[in-house]
Amino acid sequence: MRRTKTIAAAVVSLSLLAAACTSATKKATSSSAANNPSGSVSTQPGSTAKASHKQGGTVTIVNVQGQTWSCQFNPFNPAVYAESLGFVYEPLVFVNLLNNAAETPMLASSYTWGPDKKSITFTIRDGVKWSDGQPFSADDVAFTFNLMKRVPATDLYSLWTGAGLQTVTATGNKVLLSFAKPAQPYFWYFADQVGIVPQHIWTTAAVAAHPDTWADANPVGTGPFKVSPCGPNNIQYVANPNYWQAGKPYIQKIVYPGYLDNGPGNRDLASGKGQWGSQFIPNIKQFYLSKSPDNHTWSPPVTNVEIFPNLDPSHPQTSKLAVRQAISMAIDRNKVSQIGEDGQQPPANQTGIILPTFNMYYDASAVAAAGYDKPNVDKAKSLMASAGYSPSNPLKLTIITITGYTDWDASLAVIKQNLASIGIDLTVQDLAQQTFNSRLYTGDFDLAYYGEPTSGPSPYYELRQILYSKNTAPIGKSASTNYERYINPAVDALFDQYPSADSATQVSLIKQIGQAMLNDVPIIPTTESVDWFQYNTKDIAGWPTPADPYAQPAAFNFPDAGQVLLHLYSKSAQ
Amino acid sequence: MRYVVRRLGFFALTLWVALTLNFFIPRFMPGNPLDALRARTHDRLSPAALEQMLTSYGFKPHQNIFVQYLEYLRNMFTGHWGISIGATLGEPVSTIVWQALPWTLGLVGVTTVLAFLLGSLIGVVAAWRRGGRLDSVLPPVFVVTSALPYFWVGLMLILVFSVWTHGWLPSDFNYDPDLLPEFSLGFIENVLKHAVLPAATILIASIGAWILTMRNNMITTLAEDYVRMGRAKGLSNSRIMTDYAARNAMLPNLSGFAMSLGFVITGSILVEYVFNYPGLGYQLYNAVQNTDYPLMQALFMLFTVAVLVALLVCDFAIAWLDPRVRATGSR
Repeated sequence: MRRTKTIAAAVVSLSLLAAACTSATKKATSSSAANNPSGSVSTQPGSTAKASHKQGGTVTIVNVQGQTWSCQFNPFNPAVYAESLGFVYEPLVFVNLLNNAAETPMLASSYTWGPDKKSITFTIRDGVKWSDGQPFSADDVAFTFNLMKRVPATDLYSLWTGAGLQTVTATGNKVLLSFAKPAQPYFWYFADQVGIVPQHIWTTAAVAAHPDTWADANPVGTGPFKVSPCGPNNIQYVANPNYWQAGKPYIQKIVYPGYLDNGPGNRDLASGKGQWGSQFIPNIKQFYLSKSPDNHTWSPPVTNVEIFPNLDPSHPQTSKLAVRQAISMAIDRNKVSQIGEDGQQPPANQTGIILPTFNMYYDASAVAAAGYDKPNVDKAKSLMASAGYSPSNPLKLTIITITGYTDWDASLAVIKQNLASIGIDLTVQDLAQQTFNSRLYTGDFDLAYYGEPTSGPSPYYELRQILYSKNTAPIGKSASTNYERYINPAVDALFDQYPSADSATQVSLIKQIGQAMLNDVPIIPTTESVDWFQYNTKDIAGWPTPADPYAQPAAFNFPDAGQVLLHLYSKSAQ
Repeated sequence: MRYVVRRLGFFALTLWVALTLNFFIPRFMPGNPLDALRARTHDRLSPAALEQMLTSYGFKPHQNIFVQYLEYLRNMFTGHWGISIGATLGEPVSTIVWQALPWTLGLVGVTTVLAFLLGSLIGVVAAWRRGGRLDSVLPPVFVVTSALPYFWVGLMLILVFSVWTHGWLPSDFNYDPDLLPEFSLGFIENVLKHAVLPAATILIASIGAWILTMRNNMITTLAEDYVRMGRAKGLSNSRIMTDYAARNAMLPNLSGFAMSLGFVITGSILVEYVFNYPGLGYQLYNAVQNTDYPLMQALFMLFTVAVLVALLVCDFAIAWLDPRVRATGSR
């Protein structure tokens, strides 16, 4: 997925672009069961897989890692969890970000929320075995969550500190999680993102001493695959014969080479050597799609790429509303998408609601009423005039971006042109990644171009990251995610109401937050970053498609990759 | 003897200075491991948990920097290089180094030696028949190739020998990823096949310099009196060419060669990058990108030691070969 920057190779465009392009993720807080508030889940897993298939076949994943494999699989280690969660370790419930948070029960066969959603009881699935043959039980689930309390380094989603988790207890085949406050927004994290680990292994002396740094080279999980073997160049997974979904996985072997850069990875995709691609391919039509009728691509949008204006009063130009409104109105987002991103990232909109992924939260009429439905240079000019600027008195602004993210440079060239027409003289400053990060975090910029790489099963997750005032910090201090320094108590209140609200109210709350985005223009979304996904159908079928978006399709998404692997099958084995 | 002692003293001093710089410069770079980890995990994880995790892996940002420095010096000498806190979070640095080192030595080392031998040979022959067909074709060609950037040569070779020929020669990795390393003919053949294009890249881009310097040294040497005397004595051409002229013309190139051997270990970042070749140069690039202090420290230390040792050996070799150096040294 990675991430990577073009060194010289970009010159010949064989190489890649930006790790930045591969944003795909989820974070902070919030609700998932938007359309399933009662928590009743069907007990038939994998309901989207219609027929069953014969077993056999191999899939090669081309997901540029930018590193050789360390052959560690500790699901709490953020450098390796994407290769262990979904493949080897499984969550309680799979929540599908792309399909209105539709749920597929995994290790929990069902769950029930307690009063006010301050507690939740999972019923743990019967008949599941660990890959070493030991039976899986509710004790393993309770153990996993209590481990995060004992060793704070493993509590990656701050469940015990931020979400207010108080106790986790197992009784029979039930596990009860009790919280100090409504916890529905955290469902995504504790049910979908946390992989359950086996108590009988993680309590052995060597592991128990340092569960956070344990290498876990031969992971024992409940998932469809086992690691066998792993080397610096390649992880090979083989099907777990004990897997609890009878007859699955259909695919018997996964080859996961450790690509260091997009150039080699993309060449292997084009030649068909790899079937499952997960990074940006420049000029994809000619380089990839035209090479074979079996080559396809579908990259669904999940988050925004945006301009962060510095809202702190110490930055008088960008903290002025009229200037931000003018910038947002002047930018031709279609052109940015076409020229800057090769049409592979769709244009974004000023509400920050990702389309079409989160259609139900989008209020098109509000966007039109606010005048952000299409570029409006005349209105932008008059806004600039009202702020005291004119072609003879241009506004000079500097935008920082990351060196080597050539698609962003191309996008910024379009934006610079757009802004020149309303009398803003934009200077693009390319910074090394580390310098960029520290300037972004501490608020040392006028404008910053960045993709907030955080998503979740509703727009709540990304918007809360960007807009919630507790996620910011004074200039000079490191802000966690609210880099523009937006502080609006009314918007905070909307976020605070969200966890305990019912699903219809949650939709209306998000729409109100979208309205605040239109009113205050705290950030200026330009394009929507996507899950990069290319797939070859010569031998392998069952891929996620727009018609059947059963999981996020890029291989770096977890536990989604596990869902994809449960759907794939080999045509030649049938 | 005094000369040797002085050289050794100089070696120790340089090593200490380099190690000290090696500790402090990365820490003066913008960014820190925590920010890098946050960016890599897309800000979705709790920063508190990540900091805890880095601490568990041995990153102690709040400890007194001088204490850290002393600990670092001791660890460099005892081989406790720590655990990576960058993109390979959790992997022992020594594992990373020992996995990458043989590939870099094998690829870059062998091609450097080859380039030197081949380049010198061509240079000798070209100078001997200067103005001849060989001399009028090869040096100009290699002036051009030595000016080509490595990555460009690499990409062109990939285009011609891999893309256009539908995978005639592999364009990435050190061996097919689905193979397991083993001591068999098939595996060795696979490794060699994967080395062809990257090796050719280094060879094409670096051989030119050897040819040109060797040819020019050789021409100067051929004008010396003792060569004319050799001819007068009626020695055979090949004897004059190799034993009289080339042997002396080679001397200045030898020290250059010793130094380039020292730099072999740093790998060839761009070549390794283009060919997805998992060597040390690539690891260094990644360590810097991800502010991975332990890995950076260990790699820079290795590079420093390799270059310093190469220089030291070169100094001794020249002193042994050339009495003039010894004489000035002991005066």
